[in-house]
Amino acid sequence: MSKQVARFIVNRRPYEILIEPQMTLLQVLRDELDLTGAKSGCGVGECGSCTVIVDGKLTRSCLTLAITAREKSILTIEGLAEGNNLHPIQQAFIDCGGLQCGFCTPGMILAAKALLDKSPHPSREEVKEWLVGNLCRCTGYVKIVDAVLVASERMGKGGK
Amino acid sequence: MKNFEYLEPRTLTEACEFLDKNEEAKILAGGLSLILLMKYNLVTPRYLINLNAVPNLANIEYVSESGARIGALVTDQDVIESPIIAEKYPLLVEAGRKIASVSVRNYGTIGGNICHADPSADFPPALVALSANLKIVGSRGQRTIPIEELFVDYLESSLAPNDVLTEIEIPPPLPRTGWSFHELGTTSNSAAVLSVAALISLDSAGRCQQASIALGSAGPVPIKVSQAQDILAGQKLDSKLIEAIALEAQKRCNPISDVFGSAEYKREMVKVLTMRALNEAVARAEAISS
Repeated sequence: MSKQVARFIVNRRPYEILIEPQMTLLQVLRDELDLTGAKSGCGVGECGSCTVIVDGKLTRSCLTLAITAREKSILTIEGLAEGNNLHPIQQAFIDCGGLQCGFCTPGMILAAKALLDKSPHPSREEVKEWLVGNLCRCTGYVKIVDAVLVASERMGKGGK
Repeated sequence: MKNFEYLEPRTLTEACEFLDKNEEAKILAGGLSLILLMKYNLVTPRYLINLNAVPNLANIEYVSESGARIGALVTDQDVIESPIIAEKYPLLVEAGRKIASVSVRNYGTIGGNICHADPSADFPPALVALSANLKIVGSRGQRTIPIEELFVDYLESSLAPNDVLTEIEIPPPLPRTGWSFHELGTTSNSAAVLSVAALISLDSAGRCQQASIALGSAGPVPIKVSQAQDILAGQKLDSKLIEAIALEAQKRCNPISDVFGSAEYKREMVKVLTMRALNEAVARAEAISS
C-alpha cells in the first residue's frame, strides 16, 4: 500500500501528513511533526516513555499504528502548557524535584494528567498503581509520586 | 515493520468475506500483542483488518437466565470497570487488574487476550474457571465452543485463519459463590509466572456445590483442575480436602524452567497458590448468607 494523506489533530491543531500504514503514531509525532517529547525507550510498550493521550485515554504511541489514530484528539506533553504558563502538574514536578534526566518525564506527566482527570484526589497507593506502566531509571519514584499528590492538591484548590 | 494493506470493514460480514478471500490477513483489535510482533517482523501479514469499526463487538450484557455476553472487543479496562462484571464475576475483574498497566488495558481487548493464546495471559484461567464459552464466526457460520478448546499450544489457538471471535459467554453465577485469583510475578505488573483462579459455590448447609479451579502459566495452555469438582462436590471443605485439591493441581501442572523459576519451584508454588486461592474462595463463599 502506498503513502496516503492522513489527518491528525494534535494539541488542538490539525495536521495533514503523508503516512504509510506501518508507521507508528510515535514515528509520526517525532519524525513528521517534530514533537519529540514522546520518546522511543523500549519500543515494546513496557517503559511508558512513548505515552501520549488519545481521545482522553493513555496510549502507547510506540504500539499504535498512526493510521488508527486519524481524526482522534491527540495530546502530547508539548500541548500541556498554555503559552508560558506551565500546567500545575508540570510545576509540581519542578517544585518537588520529580525528575533527573527527564527522559521519562513527559510520559509521567501525561500519565498523571490522565489520572487526575479521572480521579482528582487519588491516594498515594492509587498514584503508585496508576504509574506502574511508566518506568524511571533515575529518581526512585518517591518524588514523582509526591509531585502528583502536590499537583492534585493544588488543582483541587481551584488552580487549573 | 513491513508494509501491508490496511482495511477497516464496517460490518462483520465484510470482515469475514475478506478473511475468506485472503489467507495472509490478520485481525487488529487492540494491537498491543500484534503490533509488537509485527515490529520485529515475526508476523508479516499482507493485510491488516481493523475490526474496531464493526459495530456491536464491544458490548457487555447480562441476562439472569443465561448469564453474561461480553463482546470480544471490550477493552481490558472496560472489563475491570464494568459494574455488571464487578457484581457477577469479580474473579474476572481481579484477573483483569493484573494485566500490565492502564495504557495497555485501554487498548488490549478481552478477545485478543484470549486469541493470542499466550499461556501467561491473565483472563484465560479466570474464564476457564468461570466455564466460559466462546462464540466464533467463520466462513461456515457460527459455532460456540468451551473456552478450553481454543488453546492448543504456546501462542497457538484452534482458530482457523478466517475465524473471528465475537463474544465470550459466561453462565450466571450460583448464589453463594466465593472466588480468588492469585498470581506470582516478578513485579506487580509483569506477566504472570504462575496464576490460580478458583471459584467455590456452597449450598445453604455450607457444602460445596461447585468447585472450579484453573491454572495459568503452568503449562503451554491454561489448565483446568477437573478433579476438583468430583473430589469436593457435596463435601464441607476443610484443610485436608483443600490440600488434596492442591496436590491434584500439582499433578496436572506442567511448568517449564525459565528465568523466572525452575519447574520444581513453580510446581511447589502451584500447591501454595492453590491452597491460598481455595482458602480465600471458601471464606468469601461462607461470608455470603445462605
